[in-house]
Amino acid sequence: MSSYLPDSVTPDARIDADYFNYPHRRKGLDHDRFDRRFLRDMPVRNWTDGSRLKLWVTVHFEHFPMDMPAKPFVPPGGMDRPYPSVWDFSTRDYGNRVGIFRLFKVLDKYGIKATAAMNSVVAQRYPYLLQEILRRDWEVAAAGTDMGHLFHGQMDPAAEVALVQESFSTLRSLSGQAVTGWHSPAFSQSAQTPDLVAAEGGKWIADWINDDMPYAFRTSAGDLTQMPLSWDLSDHKILHNQNMAIPDYEWQINGAFAALDAESKTEGARILSLSLSPWIIAQPSRIRALDRMLGQFLGNEGVSHATGEALRSDWVAMGGNA
Amino acid sequence: MTKLSDPNNYDYAPYQGRPKIEWPNGARVAFWVAPNIEFYELAPPPSPTRSVWYRPEPDVINYSMRDYGNRVGFNRMADVMAKYNVRGSVSLNVAVCDHYPEIIERCCELDWELFSHGVYNTRYMYNMTEDQQREIIRDSRETIKRASGQDLAGWLSPAISNQETTQDLLAEEGIKYTLDLFHDDQPMPVKTRNPSRFVSVPYMMETNDVPVLNFKNISPRNYLQLIKDHFDQLYEEGAESGTVMCIPLHPYLIGQPHRLSILDEALKYITGHDKVWLATAREIAAHFEANYYDSFTNWMKPFNTVVSQ
Repeated sequence: MSSYLPDSVTPDARIDADYFNYPHRRKGLDHDRFDRRFLRDMPVRNWTDGSRLKLWVTVHFEHFPMDMPAKPFVPPGGMDRPYPSVWDFSTRDYGNRVGIFRLFKVLDKYGIKATAAMNSVVAQRYPYLLQEILRRDWEVAAAGTDMGHLFHGQMDPAAEVALVQESFSTLRSLSGQAVTGWHSPAFSQSAQTPDLVAAEGGKWIADWINDDMPYAFRTSAGDLTQMPLSWDLSDHKILHNQNMAIPDYEWQINGAFAALDAESKTEGARILSLSLSPWIIAQPSRIRALDRMLGQFLGNEGVSHATGEALRSDWVAMGGNA
Repeated sequence: MTKLSDPNNYDYAPYQGRPKIEWPNGARVAFWVAPNIEFYELAPPPSPTRSVWYRPEPDVINYSMRDYGNRVGFNRMADVMAKYNVRGSVSLNVAVCDHYPEIIERCCELDWELFSHGVYNTRYMYNMTEDQQREIIRDSRETIKRASGQDLAGWLSPAISNQETTQDLLAEEGIKYTLDLFHDDQPMPVKTRNPSRFVSVPYMMETNDVPVLNFKNISPRNYLQLIKDHFDQLYEEGAESGTVMCIPLHPYLIGQPHRLSILDEALKYITGHDKVWLATAREIAAHFEANYYDSFTNWMKPFNTVVSQ
């Protein structure tokens, strides 16, 4: 949590009459990217394969450059210590070397195809790792170039265009996949990021954490689908940012499963988003908890799994964005 | 700017030997739940005193995290509260009446109280003149009346951004109780510059899901235990004189699937005790004002003589 104090504090300042103008104070939201929706009011319908609850496993493939900027903000997982922080760098790189192969084994065991949300630099640095992802027929989604290049409201618009293009083109070229998904590093967008993603042929984004289900998201280049990638329930937030122990992570994931499983029986299709970082969840002391939970979840009638693009296309086919 | 060293909103009152508070039907604890139903603006005007967002705008992650409460969390939270017959006393950014009128309709159907938490949680009272503060109070009163038919009785400053004179102005504008003071586990008279019978009702940051889950990083299961422990102590003390317990909630946090069971288990536990008054903040303030305001005011006087040497 950042400080409440702005860059300069002016306690004697007076606020003017404009502060009492509320230009968006009307039925609806204060922007036009998407419509109001109450999840409760969605039609009751299952996924097209008949399942009620879909696990969406997203694995983050990230590169944290040791010289990453601290401005305008340090992203979650950014360097905590003074440069050169070999500790921070190598701890994160562990995920791409060791952790991911532990994670592959667990997900393979359950036949789960994950969405690989990749910084394009990872695909360039570790072609072998990309081969292993493609061999499993996972979905590759674009997640910027690396964690040192964030998308935010103060960046140069032309530089942003170049970064979005570079991420998509590199990943499409190296993977041979269509690459229809986008996740902004640190869930951080500028006001134009979704427009750029749509212009590059993206079909879904996963940066807004305001719903448990997909919804239509307007852009200047046509509608995207905003997918409910979890942050609150991610290993990154719970185990790294909040410093909780694995039993507290397991308690929360199990609780989410129980609540969504129950809700899907009366309210229709739901997604449980498991957002995983190999440098966090795939530590030796933690990986077995994931194995345990997946085994329990997938043993339930009506529970299955899918990638982001599979969920998106199913959702659109079901009329979910209408 | 001359700063105050003390808010001067209340007198000292030791937590022993107080006049005995008796709640209706012999209850030991007046228990109330305060859902904060809020609207944060994506592009609010800047405040001279406080940063609104944590990242350059648009702060997508923080805006959308809060929007979850209105889209998804509210209905889940309301269902659990209805299951245990617990009414909410809503800490309301009154602009929600305009943006999401369906939420207000459901609050009314459930017989919940609406009190004001300002217009938006992204419009602070910092740097406001007295007239400007009165404008926010007036807007709140009129909006709540229009949306629900209720008379505005209570106040929690938006984002707890109160000014030195806010409590005085609230009393002068006819507000009955404030939630801005965290000094006590029982209602208390509030000191105001003009004579009033303005009451402070305990609103507890210690059990509020935002500081607990977001700032202190207490795990959800420990939060559940915290609520039970907090209640047990106040229930025991309430045998001597009535206490108040409040659980302030935010549907964007408690309405998440991995946290909803906390609320269910907490309400099951608390409503499983027989000497609990399931009240609204308005009812607690009114009961105190009618029965104990004068006795507390008189009893407190000897403790507030300033000793010079």
